[in-house]
Amino acid sequence: MKLKSKLMTLTAAATILLSSGTVAFAETTLETVKARGHVRCQVGPPSPGYYNLDAAGNWYGLDVSICRSVAAAIFGDPTKLEIQSVSSQARFTALANGDSDLLSRTATWTMSRDTQLGIDFLQPNFYDGQGFTVRKDSGITSALQLKGAKVCVTSGTTTELNLTDFSRQNSLSISNVTFDDYNVRDDTYLNGGCDAVTGDKSSMAGNIASFPTPADHMILPETLSKEPLAPAVRHGDNQWADIVRWTVYALINAEELGVTQANVDDMLANSKNPNILRMLGAEGNLHEGLGLEKSWAYNIIKAEGNYGEIYEKYMGGGEQGIGIDRAGSLNALWTDGGLMYAPPMR
Amino acid sequence: MAIITKEKSPDRPAPLSETTPLGWLRINLFSSTFNTGLTLIMLFIVYLTISGVFAWGYLDATFVADKRRECYDNSLTGACWAGVIAWLDNIFYGRYPRDELWRVNLGGVLLVLWMAPLWMSRVKAKVLVGASVIIFYPFLAGYIFTGGDKSWFMQFMVSGAILAFIINMLNMLSGLIENTSFAKFLFKLSGQVEASDKTQRNLLYGVLFAAFIVIFAIQSSWTVTEVSWTKWGGLFLTLVISGIGIASSLPLGIVLALGRRSKLPVVRVLSTGFIEIFRSVPLITVLFMATTMFPLFMPEGFFLNKLVQGIISVVLFNACYMAEIVRAGLQAIPKGQFEGSHTIGLGYWGTMGLVIMPQALKHMIPNIVGNIIGLLKDTTLVSIIGLFDILGMLRSISKDIPWLGLHKEPLVFGAILFFIICFSMSKYSRHLESKLSAGNKR
Repeated sequence: MKLKSKLMTLTAAATILLSSGTVAFAETTLETVKARGHVRCQVGPPSPGYYNLDAAGNWYGLDVSICRSVAAAIFGDPTKLEIQSVSSQARFTALANGDSDLLSRTATWTMSRDTQLGIDFLQPNFYDGQGFTVRKDSGITSALQLKGAKVCVTSGTTTELNLTDFSRQNSLSISNVTFDDYNVRDDTYLNGGCDAVTGDKSSMAGNIASFPTPADHMILPETLSKEPLAPAVRHGDNQWADIVRWTVYALINAEELGVTQANVDDMLANSKNPNILRMLGAEGNLHEGLGLEKSWAYNIIKAEGNYGEIYEKYMGGGEQGIGIDRAGSLNALWTDGGLMYAPPMR
Repeated sequence: MAIITKEKSPDRPAPLSETTPLGWLRINLFSSTFNTGLTLIMLFIVYLTISGVFAWGYLDATFVADKRRECYDNSLTGACWAGVIAWLDNIFYGRYPRDELWRVNLGGVLLVLWMAPLWMSRVKAKVLVGASVIIFYPFLAGYIFTGGDKSWFMQFMVSGAILAFIINMLNMLSGLIENTSFAKFLFKLSGQVEASDKTQRNLLYGVLFAAFIVIFAIQSSWTVTEVSWTKWGGLFLTLVISGIGIASSLPLGIVLALGRRSKLPVVRVLSTGFIEIFRSVPLITVLFMATTMFPLFMPEGFFLNKLVQGIISVVLFNACYMAEIVRAGLQAIPKGQFEGSHTIGLGYWGTMGLVIMPQALKHMIPNIVGNIIGLLKDTTLVSIIGLFDILGMLRSISKDIPWLGLHKEPLVFGAILFFIICFSMSKYSRHLESKLSAGNKR
């Protein structure tokens, strides 16, 4: 009898513990973020174009803009944000264990990552692809001419595997010269240690711009791989995923509709286009499903501008940009033949 | 006809080869054809190196520019120091708000002032000075660096720290001017030199208490704005981590070493196990474990920030190495010392604290300083868990758009900084050694 009552007490205690555990889990990411007062957004160690530190110690870049947009959508203030810089080995764990609310860094959306790591990738904000850089005076104009060439590559990434695949597929017998640090890789290439460099085309464009004589080098037309770079969130909280997904869609739609950081106030007051009015919250109640303020999309554009503006600033020819041409690339709007296409906001 | 004179004949001058630089050169560098050849070859290599470095680092270098392209326009082969100069604030202070940098400087100046009496032979009560640094300084510095609202405990400790600092400074002055401790000076001022111990003690405590009340009242209205630890970085962060690492790994190491030599089996096994486990894994693994795996084991909502995780890892890791150094030092003490101190009636702690440790620590200094220098350099590993310590900042320069690809100059600059810090530490340890081993000189 005594034993039984003891068991009962134990069970009750366990139940209470477990149920309190469930209560803690039931709290949504949005509630947690609102209670904390800022978004924890994960980026990586500085990477040109996507996330960099400037001399004054501020973060800037395409992916940082996505972080700031999410903060603006939730709080109306892009600075309510903690940028976490996490090494690439720990990035998915740091998202899955709740350290980060959101991952906005150059993480390629692949099937295994999406289905096996407990995370969900959302709308890509940049489409990248692997390519080759060569010296113009080498006379090489196509990657298929790289027979027996020495190619510099950074180790431990898909880049290295893609290179091996490409070499096997076309029986080029390319020999890999691997490096840990891409600065050393580029120095070796510049000093004649290898015939070509391979890497993501976006980052190589930036690197070429930093060479002593950029005009002597060029990127070959071939693209070895598909690299859709997308923000990711923890699996299972659909409302939070919606918020991040529609933040990116709002940026793309704003560009398509011609709403910019400069004219957003004017558009809100004077526009006759119902699509714009619905997006900016003057009409309808699109915000309700997200659990945000009516002005969420307005706040995003007011803070960061539309996708085109952000691209120009950090990936294009802006002062802090790495100078990649957008026209004709995958990152152009769908109306210009690119892949940037967002579902309608209605 | 006396051949022997009373006066000593004058010394003949030393041969020219001993006194003139030319003679020295001849003996040491050009003594044979072979040596002459070697010397010339070495001179040529030295000339090549130095002239190359000099041309790169100074003659062709650019010191003023807004971006790397301007450096290239100036010279394609020279160094571009302008990028390092533009990033100096980041390198030294990390992302600390630029208006608040004085706080970091103040913290550094306070530490130097606080520790200065330890180097002055005329100042008394050095043990108290040392203890006050370890007990109070972390709270004061912690508040100055972090800011924000103070809890009651913090208010208490900050007041205590300010009081301790002021007393310390007064003690230093009375030591330098009157060659006496502050307490003695106080008694002299108040004419209580001849009074009983009790009166003197009451007077001292009364003064301290009154000063504490005044300081407490003043500091309660003093606040500085909050700066999140995520903004700490650069050399500042490196020094914070290694400072805490150094200050806590030595005491912890002593405890572990004593534990390992203990006669109590549980204590011995636990200490040995702890030391062996942490020594058998690389620091980088400990850091990764602390930052990525540790949160998974903790209950929901429990949050320890990365900085604290990093510091704890560094401390635990280095405590194990310290423990082994201390154990080696203890083993060097002859058994007679233990037996001798037991004979005069000292217990375990008395034996250790008064007889064994003071002798053992002296032997350990070269190893301890070696380990401390290693620790300072090891802390650069925290840049891989996302803390922007000095190495993290130096590497980030090459990713900033205006300075894209600028990676050699920052690393050279970092190497120079590290050399200055580590070399002065090793110099100081040599000084400490010669000072402490004065009794052993023959």
